[in-house]
Amino acid sequence: MRIETAAYASRWQGVAPSAKALFALGGMGAAWIARQPGTLGTLAAALALTALLGARVPLRTWLAVALPPLGFLLLSCLTMLVTFSPDEGWHWAGALWPAVTRTALRSLAMLAALLGFILTTPLPDLLSLLRRLRTPELLLDLMALCYRMLFVLRQAWDEGVTAQSARLGYRGWRHAWRSTGLLAGQMAVQVWQRAGALQMAAEARGYQGTLRFLPALFPHARRQNAWALMGAALLLALAIGERLGAGA
Amino acid sequence: MSAQLEVRGVGHVFADGSPGLRDCSLVLGRGRRHALLGANGAGKTTLLQHLNGLLRPGSGQLLLDGQPYDYGRKGLAQLRRRVGLVFQNPERQLFSAQVEEDVSFGPLNLGLDAAAVRARVAAALDAVGLRDHGRRAVHHLSFGQKKRVCIAGVLAMEPDVLLLDEPMAGLDAPMQDELAALLARLTARGVTILLSTHDIDFAYAWADDIHLMADGRCIASGPAPLLARDAATLQAAGQRQPLALALHAHLVARSVLPAGPGPRSVDALLDALRCVPFTSSGKTPT
Repeated sequence: MRIETAAYASRWQGVAPSAKALFALGGMGAAWIARQPGTLGTLAAALALTALLGARVPLRTWLAVALPPLGFLLLSCLTMLVTFSPDEGWHWAGALWPAVTRTALRSLAMLAALLGFILTTPLPDLLSLLRRLRTPELLLDLMALCYRMLFVLRQAWDEGVTAQSARLGYRGWRHAWRSTGLLAGQMAVQVWQRAGALQMAAEARGYQGTLRFLPALFPHARRQNAWALMGAALLLALAIGERLGAGA
Repeated sequence: MSAQLEVRGVGHVFADGSPGLRDCSLVLGRGRRHALLGANGAGKTTLLQHLNGLLRPGSGQLLLDGQPYDYGRKGLAQLRRRVGLVFQNPERQLFSAQVEEDVSFGPLNLGLDAAAVRARVAAALDAVGLRDHGRRAVHHLSFGQKKRVCIAGVLAMEPDVLLLDEPMAGLDAPMQDELAALLARLTARGVTILLSTHDIDFAYAWADDIHLMADGRCIASGPAPLLARDAATLQAAGQRQPLALALHAHLVARSVLPAGPGPRSVDALLDALRCVPFTSSGKTPT
């Protein structure tokens, strides 16, 4: 929900998703090529600042979305640094520090590139981009329906919890468990009913087996793609320059 | 008045054995405003779903422009292009993530090209006052806005007949006024409208014809000013007399207003009262 809200509030919501995807891909490619911690750190910072300053994604949102993967990254790094051997038992593997630093910074840069994309692109735009990229229609239809149903069911769930709370359904953990169970059972019925209702609504508007939607129009896509390509090229040049410099 | 849609002795029984419609008959005149009134469970929604071809009659038949409904694939596509249905609960009609996408669903199913679809989507959103909301997520809209998106989704198919299942339910007074204005614009364009409602006052003020449903049957049809005076028939359909008519009758009985055709709304009645001059004693002249 936080990602969704940020994407709609972003200053780049109206920017062509192809442009944002190109820039993110450029950032990921550069992070994959670069090896030096300094370069990787610069890439991560540049990509994060682009989202924060360029697209005006709130710092709090960026951190909240980044925290779970960052926690996972930290845990992975620790398991690399703290190792076990039969002779020494558990010990600190300081020799792995450079490799771990590189891996961590590379992951951070990749994460920043990805967050810059998803925190500025509402899912319908992403679906539209995937449709243009010839992703199988069935997969896209499923994604579109799941996305819509997510909000419909969330609303139904919230209404159910409110109605139960009003009748003391959550007074004490035993009541809470019972109420949650009852609501979960009711949700299954609701899903079935709503699926039937949506099918009927689609048929009323001439549904013939394929969900067809009008793709969103981005009148400045060509110019925005050019800018994104330039930005991506700059990041890639930084990474390639570093690799060439290290090889010389 | 030429008949555009006709329901002849239609019966329908649901899968669980409960009757939906029993020998139901009514005629919808072309370009007119029709209100379908009845208590809960009277069969209003079932009838609307029959008119859109979503349900098939177990007995009897439905006719469009004098021709029986064709339930073949092509026939149904043609029927649903001409007869659009707006459901009562928008959450059960909207399945696209974005407003524009959802409104485009029907026209795309008609096989129109992208440019024509875009034009229709823009016109439909314009008609319901949501021109600037095309790129918004459906779940970010209010209930009233969602309802308007539902109507736009059907208007974009440019139907000749628009069926609305309790369109006023859940809308506040200003939104009801906006919807009434939209319906007036559609009627002016020659669209035949049939809406189901529980609100006899709205039906009496708005409709040209009223159809009363009870127990799966259409028990009476007729011009709104005539049918609204028939208290016994209204009662049989679980309806009271329109407030404007009841008030008018009392005021006439007390010689406050002259006898004559009753006003169609309380507002019209107030206008009539304002035209009556006060006497110096504070009483109106008889």
